[in-house]
Amino acid sequence: MAFTVTQGAALHLLSVESAPGSVPAITGDATPSAGPAAARLAIIDSDSGFVRVLSKRIGAVGWRAQVLGSPPPPEELRAMRQHAIVIDVAMLGAEAWSYLGRICAISPSQAVVVCTGPTSVAQRVRGLRLGADDWVTKPCHPEEVLARVEAALRARQAGASVAEPPEPVVAGELEIRPDMFEAFVGGRALGLTRREFELIQLLSASAGRVIPRERIYERVWGYAMAHGDRSVDVFVRKLRKKLEAASPGWRYLHTHFGVGYRFDAQEAGDDPGEEPGDERESAQGSASLP
Amino acid sequence: MARLSLVPKDREFFNLFDEAGTNILQSAQLLDQLMRKWPDAGGLGREILICEQEGDRITHDIIHRLNSTSVTPIDREDIFALASALDDIVDFTEEAADFMGLYNIEAPMEQALQLTGVLEDACRNIAQALNRLKGFQELNHYFVEVNRLENEGDRITREALASLFRGGIDPMVVIKWKDIFDRLEEAIDACEHVANILEGIVVKHT
Repeated sequence: MAFTVTQGAALHLLSVESAPGSVPAITGDATPSAGPAAARLAIIDSDSGFVRVLSKRIGAVGWRAQVLGSPPPPEELRAMRQHAIVIDVAMLGAEAWSYLGRICAISPSQAVVVCTGPTSVAQRVRGLRLGADDWVTKPCHPEEVLARVEAALRARQAGASVAEPPEPVVAGELEIRPDMFEAFVGGRALGLTRREFELIQLLSASAGRVIPRERIYERVWGYAMAHGDRSVDVFVRKLRKKLEAASPGWRYLHTHFGVGYRFDAQEAGDDPGEEPGDERESAQGSASLP
Repeated sequence: MARLSLVPKDREFFNLFDEAGTNILQSAQLLDQLMRKWPDAGGLGREILICEQEGDRITHDIIHRLNSTSVTPIDREDIFALASALDDIVDFTEEAADFMGLYNIEAPMEQALQLTGVLEDACRNIAQALNRLKGFQELNHYFVEVNRLENEGDRITREALASLFRGGIDPMVVIKWKDIFDRLEEAIDACEHVANILEGIVVKHT
């Protein structure tokens, strides 16, 4: 079903002062009281007046807003690493539901607040069930949008603080401990840097499956990978070095040329294609990207 | 037929230019190695810095000699321009290497490896041309090759910059690598400048 919202005639900004009697005026300190100290928001909305006032308000409370006049691909949006996304789904037309579903699924750590014109109950329920954290109907006051974003961020923070740390992963002689940001072989720590740990955690969480370089970069570095960037290869090389020194009888990281890397604990000799210390994809030995 | 000169000319300039050619080639080779080994480049950055200081020393020797010699084997302005342009190559090479450390670069970029390869090839051609400068003969193919390499360097740099400005890339990565790509391109441009000066010198002497 296409998403249809009658937007043209509505005033999208409602001044608190313009509704006397019905709603008490906002008084006192309106600065967001919870959520990240300097939250980053992406605003996906083509209504320039609304965006201008909302951005101004966001700036006034010390948050940062990135205004996107058109919806970027969900992968790009995830790579921007915003804390929250405020989106007017009406601008997406027939793609509204699939886009909303994709951005909620692909970026579970980002709060998504839909801010759009009048809609039916069924549409709002559908949007929330697709993963949106909240739904604000225009015309609305920017303060209310901010408060709802703040509430969504607060709820996420609370959820994160009570969440159990992921279980340790044991593969071959290796034990990966997310609660300690470290990996161990025979009780001895490998001395991984944060990035090395995030890399092995990501790969081991999808053990047996090949993860493309671009995906690894997006997940560990949090941005899109520039074409030609060898960071993933260099960090895999560093990680391999530490793993081979600590557990010489096992191979954990396997290269899939032209694609990416796979985590799979195999005893040395089981994988004839990969010799110890194989760094064929490292910057040191390669002349061009496969 | 070569012109006969009745006044003895200081041939030491050719030795100094030959020395400068060897120095630019060495610095470009070291930069290429540094880029390929990065971030495990060891003391290569320091070795490039030594090349840069050696380049300054050679430039100083050439200019000092220029000021104390009455008759030069090449026009004075050409000697000065050539010495300065050769010094520029090593300066930009050293800056590119220095930025890798200063900007705390985590890993090289493929296009940077290609550019250091182009720079090394261009420097090799210049070094060979400088080695044969005394005779002013059969040098044209070096200049043609340096020009071709400069075009190749421009193409790689443009592609590298385009890849940085795709959406979603860490702005810090964009800022850092744009600076490094600029330095590498300037080093290659300086090679072309040297080739143009040499070409002018050869035309005057043949």
